[in-house]
Parts: sequence; C-alpha cells; structure tokens
Amino acid sequence: MPDAKQTVDAESVIRDAIHALLERRGAAHLTVRPDSRITAELEFDSLELAELSQILEDELGRDPYSEGIIPDTVAELVGFYRG
Amino acid sequence: MLFELLRRCAERVPEQPAIIDGDEVETYARLIARSEAIARGLLARDLSRFGCALSAPGAIVALAAASAGVGAEVCLYPTDLDDDQVSSFAMTFGHPTVVVHRTRRLVSIETLTLDQLMLTGDMAFPSPERTPVMILTTGTTGAPKGARHDWSRLARAVRAPDERPATRWLLAYNLNQFAGVQILLHVLASAGTLVAPPSRRADDVLGAIERHRVTHVSGTPTFWRLIVGRLDEESARKLPLEQITLGGEAAPEGLIERLHALFPAARISHVYAGTEFGSVVAVSDGRSGLPVSVLDRGEEADVQLRIVDGELQIRSRVGMLGYHQASESEHDWRSTGDLVEVRDGRIQFVGRTTEIINVGGVKVHPLPVEELVCSVTGVQLAAVYGRPNPITGQIVSIDVVLKPGTDLKDAEARIREACQALPAAARPRRIRFVPELEIRGNKLMRQEAG
Repeated sequence: MPDAKQTVDAESVIRDAIHALLERRGAAHLTVRPDSRITAELEFDSLELAELSQILEDELGRDPYSEGIIPDTVAELVGFYRG
Repeated sequence: MLFELLRRCAERVPEQPAIIDGDEVETYARLIARSEAIARGLLARDLSRFGCALSAPGAIVALAAASAGVGAEVCLYPTDLDDDQVSSFAMTFGHPTVVVHRTRRLVSIETLTLDQLMLTGDMAFPSPERTPVMILTTGTTGAPKGARHDWSRLARAVRAPDERPATRWLLAYNLNQFAGVQILLHVLASAGTLVAPPSRRADDVLGAIERHRVTHVSGTPTFWRLIVGRLDEESARKLPLEQITLGGEAAPEGLIERLHALFPAARISHVYAGTEFGSVVAVSDGRSGLPVSVLDRGEEADVQLRIVDGELQIRSRVGMLGYHQASESEHDWRSTGDLVEVRDGRIQFVGRTTEIINVGGVKVHPLPVEELVCSVTGVQLAAVYGRPNPITGQIVSIDVVLKPGTDLKDAEARIREACQALPAAARPRRIRFVPELEIRGNKLMRQEAG
C-alpha cells in the first residue's frame, strides 16, 4: 500500500517546484494541470529538468530521472511516487 | 641558509622577540642558542633525514634552522597528527627518526625530543653544500606528496621588503605549509617577529593582531573573508596593518577592494606560489589576476609562466628539486592545475582542472560563480561544486554561509537574481545554506566535481 501522506506530499512538492521554476522563467501565467506535458507544453529545458530532478531527490529521496524514467506529464511524475 | 639568516638576526637584534607564541616570547639570542644546540645533536647522532612532529612554532623554527645548518633534510609534518598518522608519514617518506614534543607510540621508528637532541659544548659546524628540506603538499586531494626543496633556492625568491626590523608578521598558516615557510623566510630576511595566534579563528586572529601590534599578515582569501566579516571601518582602524597579503587561492577583486576600504594605509598584495614551483609572482596594483606581462619574462628569469590550453604552466629555478623518491627534475615546464582566462590584459584564475563542472557539455568554472555570489549582500562565504545529475551529467551546486542575521529567503532571492547574469548552465541549480564550510589549511574545500 502506498503511503497516502507521502503521495500528497509528493504532489505538493512537484507542484511547488514546477511553479517556482516557471516563475523564475517569467512564465507564471502558464496553468499547470495534471495532464500538462512537462517539456512539450510547460517548455522545460534540460537545465530546468535537471533542477527539477535535483529538487525531487532532495525533498523526496528519489526521482524518476535517476531511474531512467522520463515522465511526460505532471500526472505521470506524481504517479512515480505512487508506484 | 636558514641557519645563516637566523644567525644574522641574532647578531643584529639579539634581544628582539623572534617568535611570540601566546605568552611565550623567544628572542633571537635564545633561538639561535637553541638551534645551535640542536645542530650539535644532529651532527653527533649523524641524522641526515628525519621527520618533525613538533607543534610549537619556536621549536619547529629552531629544529628547521639547525637542520639547514648541518645540511640534514627535515620534513615538517602537519601539527595535528595522531600516532598512527605520524607512523604512516614516517614510513611513506622513509624517516627512521621523528622529532616529537610528547610521548608517541610509533612502530619501529625512533622518536627523539628536542631536549634529548640538544648538546652543549664546542663543535665546529661544517658549511653544508646543500641545505635540503622536504615540504609536504597540503593534500587537498589524496595523500600529501613530499616536495624536495633547498633553503638556498627558497630564500632566493624572498627579498627583504624593508630593512626595518620592527615588522611583526602573523603566522596564519602552519609552518609545515609552503606558505608558512614563506612567512618564516620573510621574517628572518627582515629580522622581524613572528606572532602565532592562539588559533586560526577570526576573533583569536584579530586579538593577536591588536595585542601584539602585528604589521604584516598573509592569509588565503578564505581567511581574509572571515576576518573582513568581523570588521567595520572603526574596528579596522585599531589594527596597525601595513602589509596585507593574499595567497593560496585566487584573490577576487571585491575582496581586495573591501580590504582597501578597511585598511586605506596598508599595501595589499596577492601572491601566486605553490609547494612545487615556489614563489612565482606578487601583485600589488589592487586588481585581481596577474598582469599579462608576466608571460614575457625571459629565459634568464627564475620563474617563467605560459598558458597552454587554458592552463597555467610554470618553469621555476626556485621551485622544488623533485618529489620524494623521484629523480631531480630538469628545468622543465610544469602544469599548475590552475585554469586561467586572459581578459583586459590580465590573467584571471577561473578554477582548478579538477574542479571543472560539466553541465550538459558546457564547462563551468567555480571561481567566477563563487565570486559573484560572494558579492551578494548577506553572503559571507560560498563554495561552488558539481553535483551528479541524471539529465545534464552535473549541475552547479553551491553551499553558502550567510552573515549573522541575514534572512534566508531574501538571501536566496538575491543570489538567484545575481546569478541571472551568468550563462544558464553556470547558474547554481541547488543552493544550500550551511553554518560553515570545510576549510583545510586555510583554503576552502570544494566537493570534488564527480
């Protein structure tokens, strides 16, 4: 059974991280939905992805990118922590 | 050579303190007497190579001068070693004997105290042809290496800055470090006084400078940043500094400017030197980096410099003779590991070859990033290093020490804003606020770029 609390935490950590990175790029106006595509729609470049993976590793102890998984959407990224 | 320098000081200013170490004051007369007694002991015991695990500066100087006097090769160990480490140094560098100041349990290595070594009486000292000394590298990466030097070569690179004997020099390094040896040579060349602070902590250092009226201080930029962090214009005015020297790390312009503002009467220099290649250049024009004119020194110069593939190379006649057990090196060009860029007629240091951060194929040098972040309000110290990353191979990571009372969130926002001026790959992607940074031998330790 996945830990419900951990999943919620993961979701908010991911949301906060994505918002922070968008804001720094001056793209705070973009709406982040579960089905938002991280590179195609939110236009994350490799450096932003690198930073995102870093934040996830620091805050949640593991991140999908280090395990060779490249989630397409925000929901897929959250799903990694449910699995 | 060292022995002759000491003897000359003892003739000129016998009653002047040579070394002030806390409440202990050692005059030149006493120091030369001690050193001569040790030299007799070295001759009597026929000691030609040995380790020194002493910790008091007076004892170390007396032993080093005595060794030079009889042509024996002393190797100064770091002062904070435990018994196992002393044994391992003695094994590594082939020392059958180690001079100690307290009981040591060493396996199959003879230990001697200075008291055991000292001999009274008359004995003629030979004039040794060579005055060898082994100086260990600081070993920021891996085990220290032993660099074989000769006091006469080392002393050649030191010119007495002035003949006024009242200068007082702070020992802000350990004497076993190359920079510590340089300071000792300067003190003896100018018949000055060496002042050892009780510790390297900023408060102790400032206390020693004020109490003993220290005029000359040489330290790393990291050391100076910590000192500057404790001072304002008013408290700085109480300090009688005449000469401020930065060395061992690249000296950033911002720090030089701050020192000028705090000590308007002092001369501020930064030196480029190394355990292997000796003293290379001193710059006192208030700017960071080296003037490009140093590249035009002729064949006859003691030290020549050139840049190959962005790395500084040096050919030195005042550098080491070779590493321990390595054959005498020719007068050859040697890589320094220091990466440089030429900008506006200056050679600017950008980092070490071992510290390059590769961010998705873009090479990032830590020093310019550190310098920028250190210029942000509220930042005291910063260390930039690469952190492994699955997307880009590495990302730029920075550990930051804030000045007391600085708001974390505000500081982070200011750092991020300042870093917008950097290329995207060079911007720190991870900022950690830490209470302190690891400092070894007064130098900032960056985590190895892995």
